[in-house]
Amino acid sequence: MPTNLNFEMARSLVGFTVLLLFLSICESASFFQPISDSHRSAAVELFSPDHGSLKSLEETYEALRTFDVLGIEKKPDVTATACRLVSETVGSSSSTLKNVFYALKANSIVKCKINDKAYQGIITRLNAAVDGARSLPDFYYSVGGLVLVKGSKGDVHLADADGIFRSVKAFRQSDGRWRSSSSNPESSAFAAGIALETLAGVVSLASPELDQSLISTLNNDISKLFDSIEKYDDGALYFDDKLVDGHDHQGPLATTSSVVRGLTAFAAVTDERLNIPSNKILGLANFFLGIGVPGDAKDLFNQIDSLACLESNRVSIPLILSLPSTVLSVTKEDLLQVNVNTVLGSNAPPLTVKLVGVFTSGSKAASLVESQELVFDDGTGMYNLKNLPKSIDVGSYTFVFEIVLHELEHEKIYITGGQKKVPIFVSGLIKIENAEIAVLDSDLGSIETQKKLDLAGQNAVSLSANHLQKLRVSFKLTTPHGLAFKPHQALLKLRHESKVEHIFVVGNSGKQFEIVLNFLGLVEKFFYLSGRYDIELAVGDAVMENSLLLAIGHIELDLPEPPEKATRPPPQPVDPYSRYGPKAEITHIFRAPEKRPPKELSLAFLGLTFLPLLGFLIGLLLLGVNLKNFPSNAVPATFATLLHVSIGAVLSLYVLFWLKLDLFQTLKLLGFLGVILVLVGHRVLSHLASTSAKLKSA
Amino acid sequence: MGKLWLICIASISILLPFLCNAFSPETPTDRRVLVLLDDFAIMSSHSLYFNALKSRGFDLEFKLADDPKIALQRYGQYLYDALILFCPSVERFGGSIDVAAIVNFVDSGHDLIVAADVNASDLIREVGTECGVDFDEDPSAMVIDHIGYAVSGTEGDHTLIASDDFIKSDVILGGKKIEAPILFRGIGHAVSPANSLVLKVLSASPSAYSANPKSKLSTPPPLTGSAISLVSIVQARNNARLLITGSLSMFSNRFFRSGVQKARSQTKHEKSGNEQFLTEISKWIFHERGHLKAVNVKHHRVGETDEPALYRINDELEYAVEIYEWSGTSWEPYVANDVQLQFYMMSPYVLKTLSSDKKGLYSTSFKVPDVYGVFQFKVEHQKLGYTSLSLSKQIPVRPYRHNEYERFIPAAYPYYGAAFSMMAGFFIFSFAHLYSK
Repeated sequence: MPTNLNFEMARSLVGFTVLLLFLSICESASFFQPISDSHRSAAVELFSPDHGSLKSLEETYEALRTFDVLGIEKKPDVTATACRLVSETVGSSSSTLKNVFYALKANSIVKCKINDKAYQGIITRLNAAVDGARSLPDFYYSVGGLVLVKGSKGDVHLADADGIFRSVKAFRQSDGRWRSSSSNPESSAFAAGIALETLAGVVSLASPELDQSLISTLNNDISKLFDSIEKYDDGALYFDDKLVDGHDHQGPLATTSSVVRGLTAFAAVTDERLNIPSNKILGLANFFLGIGVPGDAKDLFNQIDSLACLESNRVSIPLILSLPSTVLSVTKEDLLQVNVNTVLGSNAPPLTVKLVGVFTSGSKAASLVESQELVFDDGTGMYNLKNLPKSIDVGSYTFVFEIVLHELEHEKIYITGGQKKVPIFVSGLIKIENAEIAVLDSDLGSIETQKKLDLAGQNAVSLSANHLQKLRVSFKLTTPHGLAFKPHQALLKLRHESKVEHIFVVGNSGKQFEIVLNFLGLVEKFFYLSGRYDIELAVGDAVMENSLLLAIGHIELDLPEPPEKATRPPPQPVDPYSRYGPKAEITHIFRAPEKRPPKELSLAFLGLTFLPLLGFLIGLLLLGVNLKNFPSNAVPATFATLLHVSIGAVLSLYVLFWLKLDLFQTLKLLGFLGVILVLVGHRVLSHLASTSAKLKSA
Repeated sequence: MGKLWLICIASISILLPFLCNAFSPETPTDRRVLVLLDDFAIMSSHSLYFNALKSRGFDLEFKLADDPKIALQRYGQYLYDALILFCPSVERFGGSIDVAAIVNFVDSGHDLIVAADVNASDLIREVGTECGVDFDEDPSAMVIDHIGYAVSGTEGDHTLIASDDFIKSDVILGGKKIEAPILFRGIGHAVSPANSLVLKVLSASPSAYSANPKSKLSTPPPLTGSAISLVSIVQARNNARLLITGSLSMFSNRFFRSGVQKARSQTKHEKSGNEQFLTEISKWIFHERGHLKAVNVKHHRVGETDEPALYRINDELEYAVEIYEWSGTSWEPYVANDVQLQFYMMSPYVLKTLSSDKKGLYSTSFKVPDVYGVFQFKVEHQKLGYTSLSLSKQIPVRPYRHNEYERFIPAAYPYYGAAFSMMAGFFIFSFAHLYSK
C-alpha cells in the first residue's frame, strides 16, 4: 500500500504542477487582477435557472451569495424561486438538516418572510440536532443554522456551549487537520475549515462567555494548519488534501475555500489576534485570483465567497496591485498606470505607490531609475507615472513597486505584500536606415550592382548573379533614444519559383545589420536550382512597433548544373484546393457509321435494275411470243398451271425469306414446294416433250 | 415480472458492446467521448467548450491522463467513439493506453482531438507524429508573430496570436463566416507535404515564426511563415477524423470570452472567433457535417425500370444514386453539383457529372459506348472536407446479336431490285420458253 500511496501523491503532485503551468499560461503576467466584470458576466451565465444550476437549495444559496458579493441585481425569478424553496423547507419537518441550513443561509440574503412559529420549530429542531450530533457535518449544519436564526431573530443561545465546543474539538488531529467523524480515520484541511466555522458559531452562540483558554488552544491549531500550506512559484498559497481514496476528495479550490471561510469566521468572533503571517493571507488571495474566471458554478462560488471573506476579514485585508496595461509605448507616450484595490475591486485606503526601481529583464544590473512616488489621479482612481524616465528605452523591463500606507493603523489591517515586481514591455518605433542590397564579386569584393532600399515603403529590386558572386543585404536599426537595437526576428528569406525556401538569420555588429550570402558555398544548399528567387526580409521584435515583413524584389540566380548525385529539393506541399474538385467530363467517341450513297442514288439504280426486265419483256413482245403451246387438255393444263403456281410460290418464298423468314423455315417450305415442283414439272415437261415428239414424227 | 427484468438485463448486456462503435451510418447517434486531462482544473477552465459538446448530446467522460484505470477497449470492444487529449504534459498514459493503442483506436475509425502546448511532452509529440504533423522540436519554442499578434494590455511578447488564415471550406468551418480572428498561444507544427490526408485549417501569417521568445535567435527557425500550421485536421482513409493543435489554451473559457483586436487593425471584436471556430470544427470532427452515404444505386435502360443483367453496346441507360449527409440528428439530402459518374473499363470511357434534384437524388443518362467488355459504374466523390464516396458496380456490355443489325439498307436496293427483276424475268421466261410456238 505505501507504494500506491506514493504513486497517488506523485500523481497529484504532477497534477498541481500542471495546474500551475496552466495558470501561468493563462495569466502570463505574474501579477493578479482583482475581480472584474468578466466575473459578473460569467456569474450571470453560470447561475441562470435555465442553466439547470438552481435545482437544490445549496445551489440556490451559492447563486444568491455570488450575486450578492458581485453586486449583481438579483433577478426577481431567482428570488421568487429561492423564497418558495426556503419556505417549503423551513415549514416542513421532514426536510434534512443540510437543506434547513442552506435554506436559512439563502434566507439571510433574500430575507423571505418566515413566521415566528416556523422559527420556533426550526430552533427546537436545531437544538435537538446539536445535542444529537455525532459527526462534524451534523455539528456544522445545526450550529450554523442556529447562528443564522440568531442573525435574523436574535434570542438564540446555546446552553452547553463549552460541552459542544469540546465535543467538536474532539475531531482535531495533532497536525492541525480535522476528521469529519470519529469513525473516519482520515483527517483533512477541508474538515478543518468546517470545524473552525462551527466553532466560531459556537463561540457566538455561547450565552455565558466561553472559557478563553479553549479559544487560545484553537489559535495554536490554526498556526499548525497553516504549516501545511502549499505554494506555487508565483506566490499563490493553497491548501490541499491528499487522500488515498479520491471519493470525497475536494480539490484545492474547495479545500482552500473551506479553510478561508472557517478562518475568517473564527477571526470575526474571537477578540484575540490570530497569529497568522499576513503574507499567507495575501498568498491565499493570490491563489483565488490566479484561477481567473472559473467555468463551473461551484468553483465560481468558492472563489467569490472566499474572496468576499478575505475582503473583510479581521486578520489582514489583502491589497492587490495591478496594472491595466503592461505594454507601454514610448512613441505614444503612454502613462504608466497602477491600480491598488482590494480583492473584490473596491477602493483601497489612502496610500502611496512608489516605483522603487526598474531593471532590464534578464540582467542583474542596477536600477535604471531613482525611487519615486506615483501621482494619484482622482478621476480614474489610479496612480500614474507622468513621464517614463529618460533612461528607459524600448525593451522589456521589470518594474518594482511598493505600496506605502498613509496611516499606521492601516498597516495592521491591510497587507500589501512588500515589493511587487511587474514585467513591463516598453515599445517604440525603431528607425531603419541605410538599407541596401548589393551583388558583390567574390574574389575582389567589388560591388557590381548596389540598390538602396526603402524599408518603409515598396521595393521591387531586380538583380542577377551567378554562383561566383555574393549577395549582401544590410541595414541599420536605432532605438528612439539613438541606441543600437537588436530585434528578435531578423530573417532573410529566399524563395525559389518552385517554392523551395531558404532562411538566413541576419547578424549584427553594433547598429549595423549585415548578411552576405556567398552563393559558391550555397549551391548545394540551393539544390543547384537556377532561376528567380524572391527576396523577403522580416524584422520584428516584441517591443518594435514597426515590425516589418517586406518583399524586397527578386534575384535571378545562375547556378551550375547539378552533378549526378546532388540531393533533390524536398517535395513542396500541394494546394489542397487543387487536389480535389470535379474532373473534366469524358464522352465516348463512337465509331463513325460506314459511308453510304444517298438514298436517291440507290433508288435510281433500283430503277435501272428493272430496265433489263423491261427490255426482256419488250423483246418478247417483238419476238411475238405467245402461249399457243399451252396444253389444251384439262389434265396437262392443270399440271402446267400447278407448275407455274409452284414456281411463283418458290419465288414468293424467296421474297418472304428476304422479308421475314429465316433460313430453316425457308428450307422446310422449299423442300415441300421443291417436291411438288419436280413432280409437276416432270409431268408438264414430259407432256410437252411427247407433244413435240409427236409433232416431229408427224 | 422478475423474468422480464432478467431478459431485459440480458439483452442489454448482449447489446452493450455494439452500442459503442466508431461512427457508422447505421448508428450515428451513439457518441461517447473520453476526455483525458492533466488536471481536473481544466474541466472548469475549459467548461464552455465541454458544455458545447455536452449540449450537442455527447457523453463526455473525464479522466486524468495518468489514471491507472483508464482503458480504450475492453474484451476487444471499444468503450468510446472518440478521444480528446487535453493533457499536453503527460509523460506516460495510465492504464492500458499508449501511443499504439491510440493509433489502433484511430485505425478502427474513431475520432481524436489532440491539444499540445508549450513544453508538450514527448508522448504528445509522438501522438502528433503518428497523426502526420511534426511539432517544433525545441521544447520551449512558441509561435511568435510580431505583425499578426493580438493587441493586449498585459501580453507584450507577441506570443498571443490573432490568426484568421482559415481553410476555405464551408463543410469544415460551417456556412457562417468567422469574422473575428482566432486567439492562439502555443506551439506550431508543420504538416508533411507528402501526406495528402492532413489539412491545415488555421495557418499562421507569413510574418510568424516558431522560436523561444526568451532566447536570442541564432539559427534560422525550423518553422516560419504560412508553413506553420496552428490547427490541422486529418481525415483518414477509414473516415476517422483527427484534430491537432499546438494550443490547449485556445479551448479555454478565457480565450472564448476574450475580445480580440489584431495588431494594425482598427476593428475590435467583442469576442474572439475561438468559440465559433472550435465548435464548428468539432462538428466536423464528430461527423455532424461532411459525412456522406450513398444509397439506392439504380441503373436501367431508358424507358424501363428493371435493372438488366447486362447492356448491349449503344444502349441508352439511366443511372441514379441517392446521397445523404449526416447533420448530427438526421440524414439530410446532400446538395452538390460535382458528383461524377464514370463508366469504366481499365480507364473511364464516359465521365459525366450527375444532375441533382436538390433532394439527394443524383441521376444522369448516357449511351453505352460501342465497346464491349466488363464495365463498372464508378462514383468516386472526393471533396475537401467530405468523406470520400466510392461506389462501383460491375456490369457487362455485349455486342449486337446477328439479327440486331439493320435489315433493309437503302444502298442495297439495287441488288434486291436486280434479284427480284431476275426472278420476275425467270417467271415470265418460263411461260415464254415452254408455251411459245
